[in-house]
Amino acid sequence: MKLRTIEKIIKPGTPHFVGDGFRVHNFIPGTSTMKRMDPFIMLDYNSKYNFPATDKPKGVGVHPHRGFETVTIAYKGRVEHGDSAGGGGVIGEGDVQWMTAASGVLHKEFHETEWSKTGGEFQMVQLWVNLPAKDKMSPPKYQAISNAEIKKVILPNEAGKVEVIAGSYEGVVGPASTFSPMNMFNLKLKKGTKTQLTFPKHYTTSLLMVEGSATVNGEEVLADHFVLFSSDGETFTVETLTDVIILVLSGEPINEPIAAHGPFVMNTQEELVEAFQDFNTGKFGYLE
Amino acid sequence: MLLPNFKKYLIEKGGLSEVEFLEIEPFIKIKKISKGEFLLKQGVVCNYSFFVEQGVLRFYALNEEGKENILQFATESWIVSDRGSVFFQEPSTYYIDAIEDVVTVLLDEDFVNKVASVNAHFRKENEKLLQNHIRHLYKRISQLLGATARERYLYFVNMYPDIMLRVPQWMIASYLGITPESLSRVRKALSKENFKPY
Repeated sequence: MKLRTIEKIIKPGTPHFVGDGFRVHNFIPGTSTMKRMDPFIMLDYNSKYNFPATDKPKGVGVHPHRGFETVTIAYKGRVEHGDSAGGGGVIGEGDVQWMTAASGVLHKEFHETEWSKTGGEFQMVQLWVNLPAKDKMSPPKYQAISNAEIKKVILPNEAGKVEVIAGSYEGVVGPASTFSPMNMFNLKLKKGTKTQLTFPKHYTTSLLMVEGSATVNGEEVLADHFVLFSSDGETFTVETLTDVIILVLSGEPINEPIAAHGPFVMNTQEELVEAFQDFNTGKFGYLE
Repeated sequence: MLLPNFKKYLIEKGGLSEVEFLEIEPFIKIKKISKGEFLLKQGVVCNYSFFVEQGVLRFYALNEEGKENILQFATESWIVSDRGSVFFQEPSTYYIDAIEDVVTVLLDEDFVNKVASVNAHFRKENEKLLQNHIRHLYKRISQLLGATARERYLYFVNMYPDIMLRVPQWMIASYLGITPESLSRVRKALSKENFKPY
């Protein structure tokens, strides 16, 4: 297996608020374009942030999506979601919410009401995963994936575990169904351990250091930093400096044209115009 | 700073060549304002038309009770101005402020003359723009006098396709001359007719 080298290590940029409930550092497309990161077309990272107690839950009000999937990975805090296709639920620490917007939904996301009343530390990733052209107008669906359902692979020598959200690790397949081949793992590793990960060379591969620090291929990567790998080999190595949580993303590029505007990601300008018309004329449904 | 929308406007609509654009580029005046800041206030003479390079502007009047009546929104590549105040050099009775952070190009007679001296076609385009604006105003007056809330809404979103995602609903209701509740009813009824659940 050939070494997959690091293309760049990106430090978290100035955070901005999405609605009033998500204080995020944008990594995709802000620091690497949609085309480069294909099929991962957006990544907002809410690094640990303390939200004070409130009776009015903070979040993002009703907005549409078409043409891709939104994946929310909760590390700390609880978030509640509802959409116009009838999907919805609450996710908390270790859970994942995988919403396939596809042909279009309206949705809203808020801190859970009960959680808001006490507030506290909040940490999440929101990712947009592109859909192949043939699936962009498929029916919306919603996968609530609790931490209990996420497959865990215990590593040898008490090195920790790999939580497989999507794709597979050592033959263990994660619960999320995807439209194109990809792997999405949370690595929960103990301090002072060494782990190698191998993915097909052409897969777009990156990681986010959610907790702790490690060296990756010998280079130090601090908490909240994002590592983008080149597509020049299969294998990279993580040696932990502390206990760590690392989100690993590796997916086969869809390699189709991308036309994106706000909450719509399609293949052509004409499809974007149609998305706005359909949204304006109620084809995404209604949500209070 | 790069002004892709303004450049596109001068080249595609104004008929300028790349070389002609470079010639007038040094004369372009830019103003940047943050969300909530003003380009025009009541009582002040308006000296410019504002071409929106980026962001959203709103043009409105305040009535005696302090209620905002929105006459126009301007998103990318739109032009907004109190034309009466500019032409007659009289104090404006209107306000222009930013709903998003805005980059605007300031257009005045000197600039129009400068562009026209480089390419005479631009003067025609400027006249066409004015005539088109008047055509829209007629349509708007007739809608405010007689169209249903639904007709007003559909005409509006056809003209500004992405505005529902950028501007609070109460402002859109103000522009349409309907209550926010009425706008919400229109959108709900449309989704009932057009949404096909799977």
